[in-house]
Amino acid sequence: MRLRMLACLLAVLVLVPGIAMAQANNSLYSNLANPAIGMNALFTGQAVPTLNQPYGLGFDEAEISLLSVVDPYWTFSSNIVFLADHTVDPEEIWARSVNIPAVQLKLGKLRGTFGKHGLLHTHAFPFIQAPIVMANTIGEEGFKDPGVEAAWLTPLPWYVELTAGAYQAIGVSADNPLDFGSTRHDNIPLLGHLKSLIDVNDATTFELGASALQGRGSDGNVHAAYGGDVTFRNVPARNSNRHGWILQGEYLQKGARSGGSYDREQDGGYASFQYRLSQVWWMGVRGEQARQSVTDFMVDQAGAAVAGTVHRASANIAWTPSEFSFIRLEYSHAKADAGVHPTDDRILLQLSYTIGYHPAHAY
Amino acid sequence: MKSLIVIAVALGLGVVTTAPARADLKVATSLTDLASVAQYVGGKHVTAQSLCRGYEDPHFVPAKPSLMKAIQNADVYISTGLELDGGWLPLVLPGSRNPKIQPGAKGFVDASQGVDVLEKPSGTVSRAEGDIHPLGNPHYYLDPKALEVVASHLADVFSGLDPANAADYAANAKQFNERMETSLEKWEKQLEPYKGASIVPYHRNFTYFADRFGLKLFSTVEPKPGIPPSPHYIADLAESMKKSGVTVVTYQPYYNADASNQVAQKAGGVAVEVPSEVGGVKGADDVFSKFDVMVSSIAGALATKAGGTK
Repeated sequence: MRLRMLACLLAVLVLVPGIAMAQANNSLYSNLANPAIGMNALFTGQAVPTLNQPYGLGFDEAEISLLSVVDPYWTFSSNIVFLADHTVDPEEIWARSVNIPAVQLKLGKLRGTFGKHGLLHTHAFPFIQAPIVMANTIGEEGFKDPGVEAAWLTPLPWYVELTAGAYQAIGVSADNPLDFGSTRHDNIPLLGHLKSLIDVNDATTFELGASALQGRGSDGNVHAAYGGDVTFRNVPARNSNRHGWILQGEYLQKGARSGGSYDREQDGGYASFQYRLSQVWWMGVRGEQARQSVTDFMVDQAGAAVAGTVHRASANIAWTPSEFSFIRLEYSHAKADAGVHPTDDRILLQLSYTIGYHPAHAY
Repeated sequence: MKSLIVIAVALGLGVVTTAPARADLKVATSLTDLASVAQYVGGKHVTAQSLCRGYEDPHFVPAKPSLMKAIQNADVYISTGLELDGGWLPLVLPGSRNPKIQPGAKGFVDASQGVDVLEKPSGTVSRAEGDIHPLGNPHYYLDPKALEVVASHLADVFSGLDPANAADYAANAKQFNERMETSLEKWEKQLEPYKGASIVPYHRNFTYFADRFGLKLFSTVEPKPGIPPSPHYIADLAESMKKSGVTVVTYQPYYNADASNQVAQKAGGVAVEVPSEVGGVKGADDVFSKFDVMVSSIAGALATKAGGTK
């Protein structure tokens, strides 16, 4: 017994100074290489007479981002989203390498390079509501799936980027309307994307994009999405944080191929114009159409979703007192040819706050 | 057919004879001032271009894909450092897909290395103070002495990448620094009568300039970095300028001239457009002529009845 006590005493005498030293000496646990950390929180209030829900301000999501260099070969980026329904979505977690000349390699859980709107994080949407066609074709927040992408910046004299991607087969879900759920071993969804941009003048750029994505569905057929986008953007050099405008249009469709023929299932598009009035004020208008599509107010008497053609016009104004917060007000009017509500009018108010490090949004 | 061949050969020869000599190093920079220094130090061995234009706010350069394309084949990228280009460079550099100029590679240069950085925040950094620079004031290129540090640094970098021309780079940097010292004496003489005078720049980018030439910064037209002034703030600032006899407001081509003019008018003073970057206004074609324009504009404003009060 005495021997055991002596052993314990010796152990304490040996270990305690070591623990104390470790606590005192920060260099043992350096935080110098910690990632850049940031968080964005989004809150939206809406008044929608056609929806069976109370008016008021709700919590949308909080997105935490961690970004760092892994080693001389890779950088790491992640966006983990905490949602209002108490779930956590590892939205994007990927590593990137630019060690191969002219090629950017990304692998991990990606936001597939498809179109324009599908590349945006929720707080970077130009309007509070995503275009209806998004949720009916590639997903409201774009196509998000584990995979690998290689983007080649071609040697042409202007910016032309060609991206090829291969992804994990996934089935239809609330986030993913595309059926890539076949369990066949050769079912690897593939993506192709072309982006071309030229400087029209000192302030204005013209961008064209084309996207294609396809994989095999749970029904054995090939399912696909196609898109095209065009953007004019103006940022006057002498007023780069006070004035400018963006004129953008995008078309997307989703379909399936069986027995040698292709059937278009859903399609639609939008055209939008955003104008920066001053350093702190932005306004925007958008018109859109989606066919054979569903959206929240298109329901039958029992409340079940019904598909049809829907047109929607939106207008918003945003106050951005700094780069790290904004408040915006949006009104939209929609008309649908299906469901018990032929029209829908709604007012939305959104608040966004960002803390810590937040990388600049893509041009 | 023969005449066609003759024309083709002539055209070919024309292209060959009119093509500029190929530089050894293609250099891209975040700022026109850095391109100006790089061109001086690099001489005929370097072609230097800036992504941000002199009349463009270096904090808010749109990260256009065309900028990525412009540096796809660069050998060297010179960043301003201290996060002045932190809002756009993290997109543009990897977007270039050029491994030679990524941070950590030999071709990536942080031009602020070795510069005595002013206004390093002490204690906790908070955005309650506006869009502050947590590593210190990044506008060191408004101090001629700081550009001498940059020139020597660039000579070392270029020599490391192109050892065959190391002697030229060292000689050019020496010549640059000697010319800067001579010019500095001239600028100091021009501003000597106004030592201790106060000015109000739009943004807190004149700290290094004021420190070098003995001027005081009374306040700024923007209440906090990146925050536009309200009418109430403009009125308060003008009132306090009046009380203290401060009458000179400076602004750059990319800042809000209206707000600067309102402050000056209410304070009974003058607002002058002063370039802080090369290419900001006509005549500011390199770092030497930029300081010529800056010094003469500010001295001129301070010399007027409205701007002469210390």
